[in-house]
Amino acid sequence: MDAKDFWFAIQNSLFIVCSILILTVILGLAIAVLINRNFPGRGIVRVLLISPFFVMPAVNAVLWINMILDPVLGLQGLAVGGVNTILDGLRDFPILGHFFSLWPQLEPISFRATQTSSYAVIMMVTWQWTPFAVLIFMTSLQSEDESQKEAATLDGASAWSKFINLTVPHLARPIAIVVMIQSIFHLSLYAEIEIVSRGNGNKNLPYLIGEFTSNNIGAASATGIFAVILANIVAIFLLRMVGKSLMD
Amino acid sequence: MATVTETSRLGNLIWPVLAWAVAIVFFFPIFWMVFTSFKTDADAVKPEFLWTFTPTLENYVNMARDYDYWRFATNSVITSTFATTLALIVGVPAAYAMAFDPSKRTKDILVWMLSTKMLPAAAVLYPMTFLTKNILGIYDTHFLVIVVLCLINLPIVIWMLFTYFKEIPKEIIEAGKMDGVSTWGEIKDILIPLAWGGIASTALLTFIFCWNEAYWTVRLTTIDAATLSKLIEGNRAPEGLFFGRLSAVSTAAVAPIIILGWFCQKQLVQGLTFGAVK
Repeated sequence: MDAKDFWFAIQNSLFIVCSILILTVILGLAIAVLINRNFPGRGIVRVLLISPFFVMPAVNAVLWINMILDPVLGLQGLAVGGVNTILDGLRDFPILGHFFSLWPQLEPISFRATQTSSYAVIMMVTWQWTPFAVLIFMTSLQSEDESQKEAATLDGASAWSKFINLTVPHLARPIAIVVMIQSIFHLSLYAEIEIVSRGNGNKNLPYLIGEFTSNNIGAASATGIFAVILANIVAIFLLRMVGKSLMD
Repeated sequence: MATVTETSRLGNLIWPVLAWAVAIVFFFPIFWMVFTSFKTDADAVKPEFLWTFTPTLENYVNMARDYDYWRFATNSVITSTFATTLALIVGVPAAYAMAFDPSKRTKDILVWMLSTKMLPAAAVLYPMTFLTKNILGIYDTHFLVIVVLCLINLPIVIWMLFTYFKEIPKEIIEAGKMDGVSTWGEIKDILIPLAWGGIASTALLTFIFCWNEAYWTVRLTTIDAATLSKLIEGNRAPEGLFFGRLSAVSTAAVAPIIILGWFCQKQLVQGLTFGAVK
């Protein structure tokens, strides 16, 4: 097997998983804090927010790569075209037009190239799994000790310092759990990669194995064994992280 | 319920608006999929018909004519339901044993079980196909799909149930033991009623994962046991041009599970903690 392909696939797997983890945790925290208050239509907001989590991964990928991200026919292409038309219009303005003509024409991004298609994968998986993070953070925010926060308010703590010093430590455990469950699912990410980066170089480890199974069973098995070892290393790491508090 | 105690009048207005905006952004792709499914394939790619167009059911009519949607849907319901039930039948006693009679290695076993979910399915595709097709002869049967779906979800099921069972005081179970209740009686009469909320939300999540599974259900079936993910697989190939048809098929495949999710969201929100809340 080609060693370069192999190392690239490992790098790419880790890049995709880590990016998704960071994005979902940050977005999930922000959204959970945002909706953790009473406002009109809270129930509907919650229903809308968690819907992406129910969508089939294959549908998710097909939907994003074709109808949203396609550089010509998708919403991205249309949006870029629209912005360019507006810019063109502004260029005709008597004096201000001079400034606008300094702006370059926007080019739509093709998400089918090797590098950009991993961004597309990150985007669609983040969209799907942020609701999961929100769900877990939300239940955990509701169990937060309010009296402690009120005491901090009386002592003159700012909202930000309350968030950093009280809420974030309270959320350490849910964050660990979100990271763990998600790395379990995303290390074996397949459907999205297969649909988005058909044929280009954006492969992760499972996809590389999938390619081997069609032409080289030996290499597939060898890579498979490696993937199992990698999974176990990650598992030991996760064990350290959440296992301890789990058994208390 | 946590509420913000000190908010200015401006804050009272901004946060809800922002929350609504975020929710709409997140829901937009699903809305767009449903919206596009009512356009013809030709209209769907024309910018002038982006928002205003003549809605048509053509795509759904074509889908019903060209594909046996109801067979795919029935297969999805059958396999997901039975796989979820089977996973609970195996998972509840397993989690019971781990939560109430743990050994020194229980924690390691739990994490090791979870780590099997990280194994890329492609690595065992060949042996699985060979085994089920040539040796066991159960390729493309409901039985096979149910067993496979059950097995791939078991680690998550056991993990979730374990975290719920841990919250039940050991003394309650031990009191049952003192009164001479059998192990089965403990599970049936004490554990299941106490952990009912957790079990229900585990079942719900497992059902969602089964419904959405697209690796094995596509590769271990041809016609008889093919689920909705197989229907998507057959329709996703050509790029562009068929947005209308693609949206209609996708909508039909995800609508049942999204609607189920909406109805059960309260249960899911309360139950989905994975032991994150102490």
